[in-house]
Amino acid sequence: MKPDALRGHLDALLLATLDGKQLHGYAIIEALQQGSGGALDLPTGTVYPALRRLERAGHVTSDWSTVGGRKRRTYKLTQAGQRALNAERSAWREFTTVIDGVLGGGKWAQQ
Amino acid sequence: MGTAVIDRYVTDLGARLQGSKKQVRDLLTETRDSLADATEAHVGRGLSEQEAQERAVEEFGPVREIANEYQAELAVAYGTRTLVWLAIVLPLMHMAWEYGRMLLIGPWQDFAAMPPAWYLFIAKANDLTSGIASGVALVTLVLGRVLARKYDSRRLAKIGAGVALTAVGAVFLGNVSIILATAHLDVARLAQSLPMTVASAITWIVIVRLGLLARRCLSCATIVA
Repeated sequence: MKPDALRGHLDALLLATLDGKQLHGYAIIEALQQGSGGALDLPTGTVYPALRRLERAGHVTSDWSTVGGRKRRTYKLTQAGQRALNAERSAWREFTTVIDGVLGGGKWAQQ
Repeated sequence: MGTAVIDRYVTDLGARLQGSKKQVRDLLTETRDSLADATEAHVGRGLSEQEAQERAVEEFGPVREIANEYQAELAVAYGTRTLVWLAIVLPLMHMAWEYGRMLLIGPWQDFAAMPPAWYLFIAKANDLTSGIASGVALVTLVLGRVLARKYDSRRLAKIGAGVALTAVGAVFLGNVSIILATAHLDVARLAQSLPMTVASAITWIVIVRLGLLARRCLSCATIVA
């Protein structure tokens, strides 16, 4: 999947990746890639500024902690982040339902 | 063979960034860790150390593109820190100065003649400037948080820098105005009390320091990494 198509959804993808988990940056990148079956083709370096943006919005918090013997910055969702994730999921379901209603029946979509 | 490829990438990235030293250091530490993790993963998949580092760096993204994204966040962080300083320091500084004046010089009414209306107007405007500048800084901080995900980071950083420069500029003008007005009215009043002269000098040091912080905000927000 092209990076430009993903950028608009990166915040939501990161929030979903952190749902119920506390992860460091590379673990988040790995989880994103595994969750997409390797289809997410985004420069991994763009994840860190996005995490900072989410932190600035109060949707995630970060702490330096020791993971696997190394000091790392780990991220987790805040309550506001959890609410934002729920809102993103609702909006996405609504969006895909509407678009699927129009495109889903098309011949090309079945191929 | 060490981590030459990663080191080169991180050094190049660091050379392009401007902001709080701690923030830059944190971002570069995270970058280095991420590249080391990716290298380990690629070595585990059968690549040589050299190939693994090159793949990790390639996946991380072109240094110029990544530096620009990092710089936007660094600029917002610097702007936020400066606005917090303005919101706290400006009213405190003004209150401390006014309290000192009341204590050491006394209210204006205690002077032989009541200062003219134009002077009181300038004094009142100067009193209000710090409070208003602090309030505007606070509102900008709140809006910045609310709009963090809706607005481009670079644009938010420029707005923050603009607010910071305007706030410091207004306080600077207010202080210059009251000094000129006092000098015009009765120049001896400017040196009426040594402790207040020292307090005024400290006030100017703080204003200049805040001005430099605000100017650096703009530099961080407009630099092309």
